[in-house]
Amino acid sequence: MKRKTLFWIVLFGALAALGAGAYLLHGGGTRAVISVDGQVWRTVDLSAVTEPYTFTVETEDGWNTIQAAPGSIQVVDADCPHQDCVKQGAISDGAIPIVCLPHKLVIEIDE
Amino acid sequence: MNEMNKTRKLVFMALLTALELIVWVIEGQIPALIPVPGVKLGLASVITLTAMAVLGRKEAGCILLARILLGALFAGSVSAVLFSLAGGALSWCVMALLLGHFERKLMWVVSVFGAIGHNAGQLLAAIAVTGTPSLVWYGPALLASAIVTGAFTGLGAMYLTGALERYRGRSKE
Repeated sequence: MKRKTLFWIVLFGALAALGAGAYLLHGGGTRAVISVDGQVWRTVDLSAVTEPYTFTVETEDGWNTIQAAPGSIQVVDADCPHQDCVKQGAISDGAIPIVCLPHKLVIEIDE
Repeated sequence: MNEMNKTRKLVFMALLTALELIVWVIEGQIPALIPVPGVKLGLASVITLTAMAVLGRKEAGCILLARILLGALFAGSVSAVLFSLAGGALSWCVMALLLGHFERKLMWVVSVFGAIGHNAGQLLAAIAVTGTPSLVWYGPALLASAIVTGAFTGLGAMYLTGALERYRGRSKE
């Protein structure tokens, strides 16, 4: 019984470490890709941004105001109910995309 | 649980539904430790797994479904229900399949697999809704998150199930 417990702890520990490792390694890049409903809406080269500026994406389901800054990008305001995309704050690498599910909006950083 | 009559069972299920709902609502009010969509402790699943162990698969499914629908009234939106259902359905299937195959001391393993199923369901729903297949790269992070949170809630469910059984054993005397 103890051996079984140990087996699962080791297996899950290794899987969690692999997952976390893959997530930390997958990243880097300066091109932010903003897509709405699977279609690329706009790309921003974050390394070329010198002064922060904002712009608003109008989707069929609502709007998101996005701020591009040198090396990072974030949603600063949106009319969605949960504000998850706003709470997430700025992203600067490809590890975790910003996703606004109600508006089908995704911001990813690649290349 | 076979000797439990219908009324007792119904009351117990209603109690568990209320408990799961309030745990879910309160957890939603606490600011997330890691402000990343999808990374959440999921304390409500303690009740789902406990219900499955004490009452049965079908009963746990009813409680989960009632919590998701009632939860939408309290704190959610229509799009959030879709994600709750996708995650909940997959998690329920995985746990229902596995629960009978693990001894009590390994109940947390069932919970980990359930949490992985939950996050996989939500990720698939997110990919389907946004039409962005590259979200799949978010998978490893969600896997790691599911293992940690699933183990935690699974231990909670294990102790709660044990406590409920001890209580029932005592109240029968």
